[in-house]
Amino acid sequence: MEPILSVQNLNKYYGDQVGCKNMNMKLYPGEVVGVVGESGSGKTTFINSISGNLNPDRGKILINKDNEIINFLEISESLKRLLIRTELAFVHQNPRDGLRLDVSAGGNISERLMSIGQRNYGNIRQTIFKWLDKVEIDKSRVDDFPRTFSGGMLQRLQIAKNLVTSPKIIFMDEPTGGLDVSVQAKILDLLRKLVRELHLSVVIVSHDLAVIRLLADKIIVMKNGEAVESGLCDQVLDDPQHSYTQLLVSSVLQV
Amino acid sequence: MIELNNITKKFTLHNQGRTNISVFKNLNLKINPGEIVALTGPSGVGKSSILKMIYGNYVFQSGEIKINNYKIDHKYPRNIIELRKNTIGYVSQFLRVIPRVPTIEIVMEPLLEINFDQKEVRERAEKILLDLNIDKNLWNLSPLTFSGGEQQRVNVARGLIRNYPCLLLDEPTASLDNVNKDIVLNLINEKKDKGSSIIGIFHDESSRKYLNAREIDITKISHAN
Repeated sequence: MEPILSVQNLNKYYGDQVGCKNMNMKLYPGEVVGVVGESGSGKTTFINSISGNLNPDRGKILINKDNEIINFLEISESLKRLLIRTELAFVHQNPRDGLRLDVSAGGNISERLMSIGQRNYGNIRQTIFKWLDKVEIDKSRVDDFPRTFSGGMLQRLQIAKNLVTSPKIIFMDEPTGGLDVSVQAKILDLLRKLVRELHLSVVIVSHDLAVIRLLADKIIVMKNGEAVESGLCDQVLDDPQHSYTQLLVSSVLQV
Repeated sequence: MIELNNITKKFTLHNQGRTNISVFKNLNLKINPGEIVALTGPSGVGKSSILKMIYGNYVFQSGEIKINNYKIDHKYPRNIIELRKNTIGYVSQFLRVIPRVPTIEIVMEPLLEINFDQKEVRERAEKILLDLNIDKNLWNLSPLTFSGGEQQRVNVARGLIRNYPCLLLDEPTASLDNVNKDIVLNLINEKKDKGSSIIGIFHDESSRKYLNAREIDITKISHAN
């Protein structure tokens, strides 16, 4: 099996300041890679650099689309935008960054569909209902504005909005970040189910090791913009080799 | 078949004065299909560590571990993920699940990886939960609020719903009453008869005898310290 996304020697600087450097990652179909590290370690820079939100300074990003390898950093802007709308999706920590608050819930979900050329009202409406159901938002809320939704509902709506065009690679930046724990559990359950049912490949950034342990197959531990350790998720968490990972794992409070 | 050849394992605690803890030196172990091996020895001697090395949770410094002739190599995590999915079942001591997910779904999960027929998988899960005396009223609740013995049986159900060629059991009967203990032991025996290579930790001697397990005292086969 070939990786669906392969990142090679990626570097991103802000002036002289290192954002992330020498980053490598292989993401296989159906796999979840977690990126962990303290604030300022470069997690968000990394995920933004590989998802088209930021332009990295050096390195390669290869995307496998139906067995054709696409060199993401060297294709035209228009092709890149099309890929971002169809093959890739980005779930923000704050759902307000990923949603249009002055457009109805249904309108938010249909946006990506219409951007790839779907025009049949009946079909679009049906797809919207299917996705509301998948993310457990009551159908009756379809015409309501997101600002009337709770934080957990907003996050679920953002997930529906992103997944409606069946993207293969999903990027998530702290998707359960601002949510209280009971809502967090529901989102984690939803994400796990979607990954399995839709065979999604996911890169997820979180500072919460418990979230990563429950979701991720592999893990990358970042410090000062670099990966200090990576590998099988529960191996890195159960038997960390690098001193920083050992510190990180031993700093988690037990409930 | 599970093989450990010349395994050396140590822990280096970087943040605690770079302390080195040597766990195994020249550890050799082989578990044949249709065989149950029971690890014995005092706590802290590394019984669970052996299971964790086989499952890939722990790295080792030298030697090789082969599972059905496939070598474990941490440079290729993808291969370990595949190996687990297809070959190794692991009943750990503690249940680790997403809060609020119903018991029945937790038990169905490992089987859903290879069988996409939701209805059939649900029936298999219901059967094993019935076998393990988990009350029907509990199936749609999260096991996190269950008693220790019930949680353990949910863990067993997850590990035994499939017929894995290799099974790792970390005290699967520790907090069970005698009736439920016998049920679990019988299920384990069924897996043995189907040809699984089984390695486990069982604290009471009667369980080891009941399973007709080959006992291995770790203090006698590994030469750490």
